[in-house]
Amino acid sequence: MTLEEAKRYLLRRAKELGLEAEVLFQEERELSLRARQGTLEEIKEARQGGIGLRVVVQGHVGYAYTEELSPEALEWALSEARDNALLAGKEGFIPPGQALGSHDLLGEGLSAPLEAKKQSALELERALRDDPRTRSVLMGGYMEKEVRMALSSTLGAEGALRTGLAGLGGSLVMGDGPSLKQGWDFKLAKEFHALDPGRTALEIREKTARLLNAKPLPTGRYRAYLEPKAMAELLLVLSRSLSAKSALEGKSRLLNRLGERIASEWVTLVDDPTLEKGFLSRPFDAEGTPARRTVVVEKGVFKTFLHNAETARALGQENTGHAFRTYRGILDVAPTNLYLEPVGNLRLEKGVLITEFMGLHAGANPVSLDFSLQALGLWVEEGEVRHAVENFAVAGNLLELLQGVEAVGDDLDWTLLDAAYGSPTVAVAELSFAGA
Amino acid sequence: MLSPDLVETLLRQALNGGADFAEIYAERSRRRRVIVRSGRLEEAISGLDYGAGLRLFFGTEVVYAYTNQLTREGLLEALETLLRAKGALGQVDERGAGGLDFRKALPKGLHTPRTPYEEKDKRYRLERLLEAEAGARIAPEIRQVEASLQEWEQEVLIANTEGTWAEEKRVRTRLFVLAVAQDGTEVQTGYAAPGKSVGLELFDLFPPKEVGAKAARQALTNLRAKPAPAGTMPVVVGNAFGGVIFHEALGHLLETTSVAKKASVLADRLGEEVASPAVTYIDDGTLPHAWGSTEVDDEGRPTERTVLIERGILKSYMVDRLGHLLTGYPMTGSGRRQDYTFAPTSRMRNTFIAPGDKEVEDLIASVEFGLYAKELGGGQVKPGSGEYNFAVQEGYIIRHGRLEEPVRGAMLVGKGPETIRKVVAVAKDWENAPGMCGSLSGMVPVEVGQPHVLVSEIVVGGRA
Repeated sequence: MTLEEAKRYLLRRAKELGLEAEVLFQEERELSLRARQGTLEEIKEARQGGIGLRVVVQGHVGYAYTEELSPEALEWALSEARDNALLAGKEGFIPPGQALGSHDLLGEGLSAPLEAKKQSALELERALRDDPRTRSVLMGGYMEKEVRMALSSTLGAEGALRTGLAGLGGSLVMGDGPSLKQGWDFKLAKEFHALDPGRTALEIREKTARLLNAKPLPTGRYRAYLEPKAMAELLLVLSRSLSAKSALEGKSRLLNRLGERIASEWVTLVDDPTLEKGFLSRPFDAEGTPARRTVVVEKGVFKTFLHNAETARALGQENTGHAFRTYRGILDVAPTNLYLEPVGNLRLEKGVLITEFMGLHAGANPVSLDFSLQALGLWVEEGEVRHAVENFAVAGNLLELLQGVEAVGDDLDWTLLDAAYGSPTVAVAELSFAGA
Repeated sequence: MLSPDLVETLLRQALNGGADFAEIYAERSRRRRVIVRSGRLEEAISGLDYGAGLRLFFGTEVVYAYTNQLTREGLLEALETLLRAKGALGQVDERGAGGLDFRKALPKGLHTPRTPYEEKDKRYRLERLLEAEAGARIAPEIRQVEASLQEWEQEVLIANTEGTWAEEKRVRTRLFVLAVAQDGTEVQTGYAAPGKSVGLELFDLFPPKEVGAKAARQALTNLRAKPAPAGTMPVVVGNAFGGVIFHEALGHLLETTSVAKKASVLADRLGEEVASPAVTYIDDGTLPHAWGSTEVDDEGRPTERTVLIERGILKSYMVDRLGHLLTGYPMTGSGRRQDYTFAPTSRMRNTFIAPGDKEVEDLIASVEFGLYAKELGGGQVKPGSGEYNFAVQEGYIIRHGRLEEPVRGAMLVGKGPETIRKVVAVAKDWENAPGMCGSLSGMVPVEVGQPHVLVSEIVVGGRA
């Protein structure tokens, strides 16, 4: 069976069984080309697809998915979803749906000869090696992904979209005497032709080399400047607390704080799934709610959680259209393109410029928002970078950090993690650094 | 899952296309996840993963394709796309003409569950999760408890052009409990998550009520904990999951994935002293029912026990097939992957520091001022520089050789090869604990482990 046929089969069978059902399918095509020492050491071509089922029985929700599209596998998924719903204690519902249309957000973005893509990977890798400080290039590569997704429910939702991304990235070890640093970065675009191997390689080299010959950082409290990538990593941690689902599960400290000031006046945080060329832009969410721009924090004041239909009903608030579900998962809430608005009042003075955090999944607690993270950075004095610093960790609480934001730059840049996070460089009054 | 005839056709076509070696990995996995919150089942999902990966070597160049279409047409199309991408179509190799003689290895059943999933209904699972949740409700400060069960039944078939034909059914079960404690505006969490290559007997091995209580005690400890001190100090690292420090700081540096590219600071160091003489470090894929054990690795090779470091001397790396091709080191049954969507690379299985001869009390008593990192969270390492970090989930101050107040928010940072030289004492109480390890070939189940160890100095990141 094809995914389309499987979708129709499941909806028909759900109706026969008297179930309300929502079917979501996804089909992905991926190409990755990894170069090393002037040859393509790995070529990966992939197709993956599957179908996810959400059913409601007597007001309770159950889930199942399958990548095998035989009638037996689909029947198994139906019966598992129904059993799961019958056992559930939480109320749930599938929202009334509408025709959402079929959208193409990718167009010809990935249309280029395979040979051109191979050359871009090879060129990037070559340019990474082209530096006396490069000790070894782990890889330079090209990656692209095309996704087709469709949503259908017995309550009338019907929509489809096609999207995708292309990217170039690399990883290398650079050295100067005994000092070694490993660097890694990638650049993404909605079009292959927007990628520039030479420039990307240069950026990766410069961003890695500037960290060489680092000195220990004495333990103390310093002003911190967070580069866009570092701030993006903190926004990822914060995003769990902005989810109304987390709040309902007792996992957000922001519950009951709507309308309160939770950050300094320079902090305005927006999620915008309608952003043109946004990495994760989409016309509707995983429940079929049409997308719109949401201001989450305005000049430091907490305006709204991110909601799906279920959390909006449970908290009696407006649905922001942030339902998230892959075919393999359960209904959740997730940001799309979440970013800190640029201000343009930042000037480097004295402190630590943090370029990157490490160990985010272990060192930052998305519930308490406490963090203690190993970081890489540069010592800044009199507005100038003096030298790199290493072997240190930064600790604090994310809400305190947001209160301490003194200035926000105008260099908005995007990092794709579980969602797309954007930020300019941010200055924070004081953070606690543990080092030598 | 696939007939020998179809597998042979595919492998032979790959050789005809000019490949030196070809491998097929097919998988069917059933997964279930059940989540309980506030005394009721909130979410339950069941799933069926189904796909295959084709890997071809042209010298040391690798091409990989995967698909969910496990029909003859689907697989042949995937293979052709791959050969086109490589630009290798049309070459003929006489080796393709002969038949492939598969040596079928039958599973020995070393990790077969005692209580298979089908033996109990879903209500049984729900009841155990409710017990875990109730077990965590030990104080009014415990505001939220989440208990979940993860079942994973993976059937794999691995065959290659050298005649390997291996099939295995791997069953893994894990119980998670997250406890959230709150006092005023202060919120802290505690966590417990036992898992084994077993069926539902997991609940007999780890009574749910006790698992819940363990998570809750940790949340309460953190609630009354003070911010950790910052600076460089001696650290006693707890046993079991404490082993994650050397998983990150040492284990990843010994995988041929980074060794072959000279991207590890421990490349080309066999026979040299790389660690303190107190350290013997072992990666064992054969431990019965361990979370990271399998009978064969994901390249179809029997797993083994690999002594990596013996009394400080580097004895072996962890070597997969590509790593073997690139370095010449013998394969160690260490080729692993998350699922059919990844080509395998060399990965850890169950990795631990072997027990020493000290008592835990003696380790603590020898510290004037330092940190006892009883339970650790996860961490990360950059093999090229050896820089690592990991979070202390439950920690205490050691003062004048005695355990004193709990502290929270500590992060241990350093460079692995330096830290492993600073292990000055190893206790007797070896234990392992499960975790998920992420790297080039995805997330794979592993155990980390050690007895209590004393490290003479580590940078502790806390509040200055």
